[in-house]
Amino acid sequence: MPRQIPWWVGGIAMSLLFYFSFSTFGANRPIGASTGMAYLATVLFGLDADSYAYTAEIEQSGAWEGVMLIGLFFGGLFMSIFVTKSFHLSLIPTLWKERKNRSVKSRMLWSFIAGFLLVFGARLAGGCNAGHILSGGSQLALSGVIFAVFALGTGVITGRFFYKKKVCKNDR
Amino acid sequence: MTDRIVHMFDIVARQGHGSVWTVLFTGFVFGAVILYSRLDKFEKMAGFMLFEDTLVPRMAMTTVALSSLGFYILVQTGYASYSVKPVLLAGLITGAILFGIGLVILGKCPSAFFVSVSEGRIDALVGVLGGMVGGAVFTLFYPQIKNFMGPDLGKVQIFHYFEDHALLVVVIFSTILLITAYLLPTIEYKDPADFKKN
Repeated sequence: MPRQIPWWVGGIAMSLLFYFSFSTFGANRPIGASTGMAYLATVLFGLDADSYAYTAEIEQSGAWEGVMLIGLFFGGLFMSIFVTKSFHLSLIPTLWKERKNRSVKSRMLWSFIAGFLLVFGARLAGGCNAGHILSGGSQLALSGVIFAVFALGTGVITGRFFYKKKVCKNDR
Repeated sequence: MTDRIVHMFDIVARQGHGSVWTVLFTGFVFGAVILYSRLDKFEKMAGFMLFEDTLVPRMAMTTVALSSLGFYILVQTGYASYSVKPVLLAGLITGAILFGIGLVILGKCPSAFFVSVSEGRIDALVGVLGGMVGGAVFTLFYPQIKNFMGPDLGKVQIFHYFEDHALLVVVIFSTILLITAYLLPTIEYKDPADFKKN
């Protein structure tokens, strides 16, 4: 088995899955992930729907996405163990070592901050890239287009300031 | 916490958006596709914004192009209905900016970081923990935050502006995305860590 599929095969496979989830044959709703993250957070920290308005507001779609995320984890695990055979414990990505630093402490600290910003930002925006860009874009939603422009624009600008300039490739 | 997890499955079983198995299956395939196309990797997602890899934009454009056409047909034939998110302008823009910063630093999105954890990446796990705290803080301060999220411009779809030509708009949108995806150069970040013997 090949260890990676090309972008167009990935795109076709992803859209077939989206048809299934979106249609009445599947779940009759688009795919999203960040509501599920927020919901799982309320489960982990015991913020129940009786006391917290937000938990009550997202309970229906959050539970759906929470279960979906559990499936997603096992889908990734299955593939990384049996197909791509890429499962191994790792601390710092290669590109980070090249463009930022080799300090585990720094990578972990930034990962935590970035994870916080991702989910907090996604909740503020009402969705993440799955809900806004992929599912939203597929429905030609204005919210999805606005989200994509601001999120990716900020990402590119932040990337230029946050990471070092590209150095010689032989350093890898 | 166990009660809440049981409750979560219970909600899904009762809400009529597919059985619990359908939802788990959907997630399983979603995770498998993300991992098999290597979208979960830092080098792909952050690499896209550093112009070192073009997998993410090409794959995302293909997905959106095909899905927009398919969704339109499914809705027209009565096999699906649109479920569009509203534009809460201030929240949407501020949220997207914070999200963009998080995305380029962590190098994964809120679905891919779970997939990354399943591949054994500890930094992704720390990202998930940060995300959990982010979700909890948002929940705690939601009553205050809510006041600043508007104005609500409604659940707008682009083709609402061209009511009689909705199909044409979808076809043009989809074609532009497909052509762009095809024409984007193949820039591939070859991660030496992927080619080590396992």
